Amino acid sequence: MSAIFAVFKRELALYFRSPIAYAVAFAMLLFLGILFNGNLAQSVAFNVSVAQQGGGGVTASDLNLAPALITFLMFLIGPLLTMRLLAEESREGTIEVLMTLPMNEAQFIIGKFLAVWSYYTVLLLLTVVYHLILTLVGVPDAGVAFGAYLGAWLYGGAVLAVCMVWSAVTEDQIVAAFLSAATVLVLYLAEVAAVSLTSSPTLANAAGFVRELGLQAHFGATLANGIIRAEDIAYFVLMMIGALFITTRIVETRRWRA
Amino acid sequence: MIEVQNLTKRYGAVPAVDNISFTAHPGQVTGFLGPNGAGKTTTMRMLTGYMPPTSGRALVAGYDVFEQSLEVRKRVGYLPENVPLYRDMTALGYLMYMGEIRGIPNRRDKAYEVLEQVKLADRANSRIRTLSKGMRQRVGLAQALLHDPEVLILDEPTIGLDPLQVLELRQLVRELGKNHTVLFSTHILSEAEQVCDSVVIIHRGTIVAQGSPSELRSTLERGGRVFVRTNAPAETALPRLQELAQVAQAETGLDGVIITPADPNADPRPAIARAVIENGWDLIELRPLAVNLEEIFLELTRAPETAAEAEPTPESEVVA
Repeated sequence: MSAIFAVFKRELALYFRSPIAYAVAFAMLLFLGILFNGNLAQSVAFNVSVAQQGGGGVTASDLNLAPALITFLMFLIGPLLTMRLLAEESREGTIEVLMTLPMNEAQFIIGKFLAVWSYYTVLLLLTVVYHLILTLVGVPDAGVAFGAYLGAWLYGGAVLAVCMVWSAVTEDQIVAAFLSAATVLVLYLAEVAAVSLTSSPTLANAAGFVRELGLQAHFGATLANGIIRAEDIAYFVLMMIGALFITTRIVETRRWRA
Repeated sequence: MIEVQNLTKRYGAVPAVDNISFTAHPGQVTGFLGPNGAGKTTTMRMLTGYMPPTSGRALVAGYDVFEQSLEVRKRVGYLPENVPLYRDMTALGYLMYMGEIRGIPNRRDKAYEVLEQVKLADRANSRIRTLSKGMRQRVGLAQALLHDPEVLILDEPTIGLDPLQVLELRQLVRELGKNHTVLFSTHILSEAEQVCDSVVIIHRGTIVAQGSPSELRSTLERGGRVFVRTNAPAETALPRLQELAQVAQAETGLDGVIITPADPNADPRPAIARAVIENGWDLIELRPLAVNLEEIFLELTRAPETAAEAEPTPESEVVA
């Protein structure tokens, strides 16, 4: 337990000293800020026109703007935050010392994962400021916002775990980043693939399955709108556990091959 | 205490370490000696639990390295060959991190204590990237000492150091050897001779000899090859020496003539000395070939058929 905490503490501290982590935070907040501002201006204009006709309040679609955009950006955020995590330890050889300490691979991987997930959580919490701005101009639905943030948090954890697999596979951070980005995009676009499968006469039955494999099927229509379903939470949690298990196995077999 | 029994490691079909057995005793520095690629690092990685053996077993501090890996890891301090460190951490920060993973309770005091021991306390708060190679080596060593391990495994700790640093490090290893089991690998034979109480010589994954440096020397002096140097040119000296009944073979080498005795149990030197005088040459040097470990090593790693001749006593186990 103390080993997990030791690894976690060091890694999390590293994120707050790493230029990449700040660059990711900066780019993300800039992107979100511009879109949010545009969206808010539009909504305000819309609300004004609605108010003139006797209506009022902020539309529901504004509430999940930040979390939904973050899930879209995960194909960049995930690889950038995780590529260093294990690849660097292998390349520098520091893993050789770590693996001769009284700590098993799973503790090491879990400590690293919790650190990157925590950093991601901080990023996500920074965007809560947009929700606070919304409360100044209207009465947003707190339930929808909560669902969307919970979803984005779990979604992010699942993506980060998947990206860690690639960081364990290769010593090259750039290779790890590209493979991670490709994997996350495939999982993100599974819904699109499912749609094209539906039109195929032979593979139509597989469409539903492919759709359910994708990340957005468990976020876009449900959690993002405040609908919390056990199956969606189970999907993200299982994906995290599965990816971390594979990562642990890869780090273990590395020793057998090395 | 390290006990290695029939340890083997294969990479695919290639044996990196082939059926080796040896024991390293507490209160001694055991030298693990061999050329680069002999299997030293592979063996050490197996002993630290980093890498599992293909077959055979090893007990470190009384625990099996494969079955009770975590128990072994608690009791071993390991300095890997390239001294991998986190360059963005301070020396103290690095030791604190290692101490936390190991669950050492008073790790700040302990970290200062080992930094003091490796004479680096004044650089405790320097980032590792700013430290010299020798200092980094000492940070690595401090890491290996942090938890008061029973067994210390140091993989070529003197590599890449300047001569003064090498002397300091050897001194430190000798001191540590007094109350730890130290396994120390090197490819520099004079180093093993200076630092180690006992030496295991490994070549191409097999042990070619083991014993104390003096045992190995006396073993090889009896019946080993003899080196002779005279003022006569080699072309003249060689055939005359070859004629002697006590000489199996004479060949040029090391700026003189190397003689393989016909009878391994008889010293050919008196006969050679007489022959030199009778021929009217001046005798400049006449001695057993293997007087230092460099030459012992040359003797032991000769082609297998000739190496077998240099295997006179049971206490030096020759497997080549």
